Amino acid sequence: MIGKILGKISIYLQAVLVFLIVAFPIYTLVLTSLQYERDIRTRQINFLPSYITLEHYKTVLEPGHIVPVMEAIINSFLVSIGAAALVICIAVPAAYGLSRNRLPGGKNILYALSSVYVIPVALFMIPLFVMFVGAGLNDTRFGLIILYTAFLTPFIIWVLKAFVEATPEEVEQAAKLDGCNHVQLFTRIYLPVMRPGISAAFLYAFVLSWVEFFTPLIFTAEVRILTVALGLYRGTIDIQIGQLAAAAVLAMLPVVLLTILFSRRITRVMTGAETK
Amino acid sequence: MASPRARKSSQLRLPMILMGRTLRAKEIRFAFCLVLPALLIVGGMYLYPSILTVLFSFSKVDLATLSIKELVGFDNYRRLLADPMFRATIWRSLYFAFVIVFATIGLAFWIALLLNQKFFGRDVLRTTILLPWAIPPVVAGVLWGQIFHAEAGILNAIIYQLGLGSGTFAWMADAAIALHVIIMAEIWRFLPFVTLFVLAGIQNIPASLYDAANMDGASKWKQFWHITLPLTMPVLLPVSIVQLTWAMKSFDTIFVLTGGMEGTRILNYFVYMEAFRHFSLGSASAAAYILLVIKLAAILAFTLLQRKFIKGGVSG
Repeated sequence: MIGKILGKISIYLQAVLVFLIVAFPIYTLVLTSLQYERDIRTRQINFLPSYITLEHYKTVLEPGHIVPVMEAIINSFLVSIGAAALVICIAVPAAYGLSRNRLPGGKNILYALSSVYVIPVALFMIPLFVMFVGAGLNDTRFGLIILYTAFLTPFIIWVLKAFVEATPEEVEQAAKLDGCNHVQLFTRIYLPVMRPGISAAFLYAFVLSWVEFFTPLIFTAEVRILTVALGLYRGTIDIQIGQLAAAAVLAMLPVVLLTILFSRRITRVMTGAETK
Repeated sequence: MASPRARKSSQLRLPMILMGRTLRAKEIRFAFCLVLPALLIVGGMYLYPSILTVLFSFSKVDLATLSIKELVGFDNYRRLLADPMFRATIWRSLYFAFVIVFATIGLAFWIALLLNQKFFGRDVLRTTILLPWAIPPVVAGVLWGQIFHAEAGILNAIIYQLGLGSGTFAWMADAAIALHVIIMAEIWRFLPFVTLFVLAGIQNIPASLYDAANMDGASKWKQFWHITLPLTMPVLLPVSIVQLTWAMKSFDTIFVLTGGMEGTRILNYFVYMEAFRHFSLGSASAAAYILLVIKLAAILAFTLLQRKFIKGGVSG
């Protein structure tokens, strides 16, 4: 009995510890963003603040701030939604085409596409940068959308292909016997099957585009198309600790909310439970 | 000569086969059309430029026109490998990646075992654990930078409040400490992903195995070593490889936390500096290929190691 109680206590202690490891750093950032600069810079810290101020958020979101955070948020939304939509348009048909040996050597094609993730990023960035400058695609939102889409495509194909291949082959054979041709097979049988995968894939693509830092660092120089992740490190915002914290919170807010809202689905799709 | 019967049946079958073939050909054509956009965009954006850099690594490159001035053979490689600073960067990258992989897996195992038990608030913890994954790496950099900030950091404030010192230490000015702060930030960021997979691996282990072990009176510790660990190995292999490639790719946190200060740079960052700060494309390409080879070797080592471990775990 005592052993059981001790076991329970140990579980709760561990749970609290894990919670602190994960959440405490985030909490300190949020806390910093809600305090006046003079209080941030003292050695007196209250983990439960006596007041809260939105001053830094107001300053940061004002038009004409050194780093146009508001515009950056809009840019990030446009680019992330654009990339997520485009990658779905490309990866959904490809996931079907590369599944179940519909295309000879389909597996190898997928491996070749996925090799993108092993290649050091800087390797393709160098010539790509010169190509983009030549085509006038650098410093454009569309350029970023294309770059993100290309990088996300192999991963999203993997996610969606699992849904196609989780469908029993008998379903496909039955559909064929009923006179379904391969175009209908794709549109009527597999598109509906992929639907939960598509929403999860859209979410992944959006989040991964939102957090991307290296690509805009290389491919954009103009403040006009600044993304919010990059915005944290363009300009001199980091001198103002409170403002930097506020901008950082704004930069993470949409993806954090999405993750909390869809945590179940993310967990299940990532670990393959959704297709089992 | 074939018998008349065989001929008859083959005559009958021929159109069938032909029809099947054209059907299959049609199917292949359709599948190819569906795959084509993916091939074009990934190939055009990433694979083709990567191949172009093979040539660069053996040449002197004119940046403005992206043309090769002259072929210099292995000069770029030789110069890099003779540079002690570059060699130090290689060792640092390996240390960086391996510490991240092993520490994350260790922590993830602990958290996954915890989440596998029933307790009040488990679902809340399960959602919370996802959070670092959702945080943009650049924000993670900002966040840890603020915690370790010399004047305004919470760490120094805690040290001061506890009377452990004056609390004015400039953590990030020391390269060795800064490197480990970066490592910590990366482990924190990777934790959700690895935990999820380890948890899924643990949950896939049939409960009957534990029942049998309990009947044999095996201790919890023994059960962990002989059941849980070996049976989650198949999940750990791909996860650790993915994580290894991620760790080797770390950029944002380094950029934000130290600005690539000497002693905190890993190979990937070195390539960035060579290419986009010093504009020496030949040397950058060569360094990137050295990185690729190291990465592949590390992946291979992991695969072999774990294959051995799985065999040992099952038989032993």
